[in-house]
Amino acid sequence: MLFSWDLLLTGFADALSWSNLFWALVGCLVGTLIGVLPGIGPSAGIAILLPMTTMIPPTSGIIMMAAIYYGAMYGGSTTAIVVNIPGEASSVPTAIDGYEMAKQGRAGAALGISAISSFVAGTLGLVGLTFFAPLLANFALAFGPPEYFALMFMGLSLVISLSGRALLKGMIATSIGLLASLIGQNPLTGAARLTFGVVDLMAGLNFISIIIGLFAVSEVMINVERAATHIYATKIRGWMPTWAEIRQCTGTMIRSSGIGFFLGLLPGCAPAVTTFIAYDVEKRFSKHPERFGKGAIEGVAAPEGANNATSSGGFVPLFAFGLPTGPALAVLMGGLMMYGLQPGPMLFQTNPKFVWAVIASMYIGNVILLVLNLPLVGFWARIALIPFPVLGPLIILCSVIGAYSIRFMLFDVWVALLFGGIGYLMRKLHFPIAPLVLATVLAQMLETSLQQSLLISQGSWLIFFNRPIAGFFMALALASIARGIWLQVRSHAPEIAIDDADE
Amino acid sequence: MRGQRRCDIAAGAFIALLGAVVIVAASQIRGDVEERLPPRTLPYVVGLMTLAGGLGLAVKSFRFHGEDPSVQWPEKDGWIRIGVNLLLLALFTALMDPLGMPIATGLYVAGAIRYMDRRRVLTALLTGAGSAAVVYYLFIRLLGLTFPLGPLGP
Repeated sequence: MLFSWDLLLTGFADALSWSNLFWALVGCLVGTLIGVLPGIGPSAGIAILLPMTTMIPPTSGIIMMAAIYYGAMYGGSTTAIVVNIPGEASSVPTAIDGYEMAKQGRAGAALGISAISSFVAGTLGLVGLTFFAPLLANFALAFGPPEYFALMFMGLSLVISLSGRALLKGMIATSIGLLASLIGQNPLTGAARLTFGVVDLMAGLNFISIIIGLFAVSEVMINVERAATHIYATKIRGWMPTWAEIRQCTGTMIRSSGIGFFLGLLPGCAPAVTTFIAYDVEKRFSKHPERFGKGAIEGVAAPEGANNATSSGGFVPLFAFGLPTGPALAVLMGGLMMYGLQPGPMLFQTNPKFVWAVIASMYIGNVILLVLNLPLVGFWARIALIPFPVLGPLIILCSVIGAYSIRFMLFDVWVALLFGGIGYLMRKLHFPIAPLVLATVLAQMLETSLQQSLLISQGSWLIFFNRPIAGFFMALALASIARGIWLQVRSHAPEIAIDDADE
Repeated sequence: MRGQRRCDIAAGAFIALLGAVVIVAASQIRGDVEERLPPRTLPYVVGLMTLAGGLGLAVKSFRFHGEDPSVQWPEKDGWIRIGVNLLLLALFTALMDPLGMPIATGLYVAGAIRYMDRRRVLTALLTGAGSAAVVYYLFIRLLGLTFPLGPLGP
């Protein structure tokens, strides 16, 4: 895959044709809607619409599918910020500070910075895709199971450290997240674990149900308890972030673009992981880490930027090797194959016009999404004006639809309900929720890569230390754990502080 | 039990118990111990982590004798409101199969709004009916999600 200005400019000429512009716009609109609606993620959205694209030319069809994919990434943050329902695991870090901002009457500013950061990071990611794809694709290939395990392990240890002085509670939350994901069948051997003879538990607990319960259901319970008249006690102030806030987030957007893009190159490294890492890095970079978790605008810009940069990064291995890095890209690859296009190195030689038109359309799609989303900020933020007695049941309804439509099992709704209760107790007792969520999301990958690594090394755990990339991640993880233990030993405070460790 | 310290001791003890149950359950997992990573290993490790974390929290809180902040538990009315809402949600979930998603949705939304604000009878009815229509026409008809239809099914 070689870059050429001629091909890129031809791609822009194709992407700017009225027909392709129209389908990019349709894709952006549908994608945003998919991101906002509960129960239908980008993978399902693309899969449902794939057969319909046979009526339009292949380039337009794939442009629309790609626009749905990154449009959904834009839309996914809306419910997380406005009503604390992160429909995807990747929106969880956004909900942490975004919802806090919304409670302070700044939902508009949070939504605005989310759209701007998504635009900046999405575009920077596309620059990476355009100019450095071959080089970066080789970097992705250097990652084997030991590197993945080390990366996940590092992610978990970093997130426990987000618990501040409540490290024991962070560790407990991580354990509960891991326990929840161990329930069901062993991914490699199929052996039943911790099912206690309950048939429904054989399928395991789905992490989306867990997230919906922990965030949305428990939030409604908190509001029901205090007989809230509105979801936020404060009045909405300001529909947009100020220029000062945008400038304040510039560094954040660039850093999260880098993190999201590079980690997005790795197959299986979902936005759920990259957004948490970007959030944690930003907290460490910040001069005021104590504001994180209490409505820091950088806490919204970082995960949103990482989320969209990851989406752009994922196209590098898809186009360069035909390797989808996540379920949505796998469905998109199915779309390419449906049109008789085989993703991989040959795609750039056999169909350069097509590939560069799709890449160019992504730049245009990002602009369309920004133009579409900024005016909608006020509309979404006004949801908070709906009286809580009406909004509360609607939030629960969205949660039920979201939980049920993952596998169409009522069991998943009960799981969301159960974790709603657990989330309520965790909030009351000051247990951090983020480590539980990340552990649930990472557990299966962590386990699979651990098993594969031990198979490769014939049982030797040294494999995680004698390979340079894996060793680097493990060293970071161990340093983070050591710092946590040191803080724990020094601390004589009760386990209630969640976000003030780095004061 | 309003003090954070006593709540943490109780939570720690409960979590330690959960860890112990997991360790016992893990010991009963069948699998080849000759494998590089036997199927019971990870549940064991996580069970141990849970047990250690729970015990650590209970012991640390027990030994803490500083200023004890209180946990903001709800008053009696708050507990009743949470209980009734959870009951309505449980009923909604239980009725989803027999009544179908659209009808159960309409009943739940109308019922929950009516319970939380007794003055909004018309709003409750209209929002319930509107939600049922959105579930039926948007999610089931347009998006083709396979929700239970109950009496509305073929």
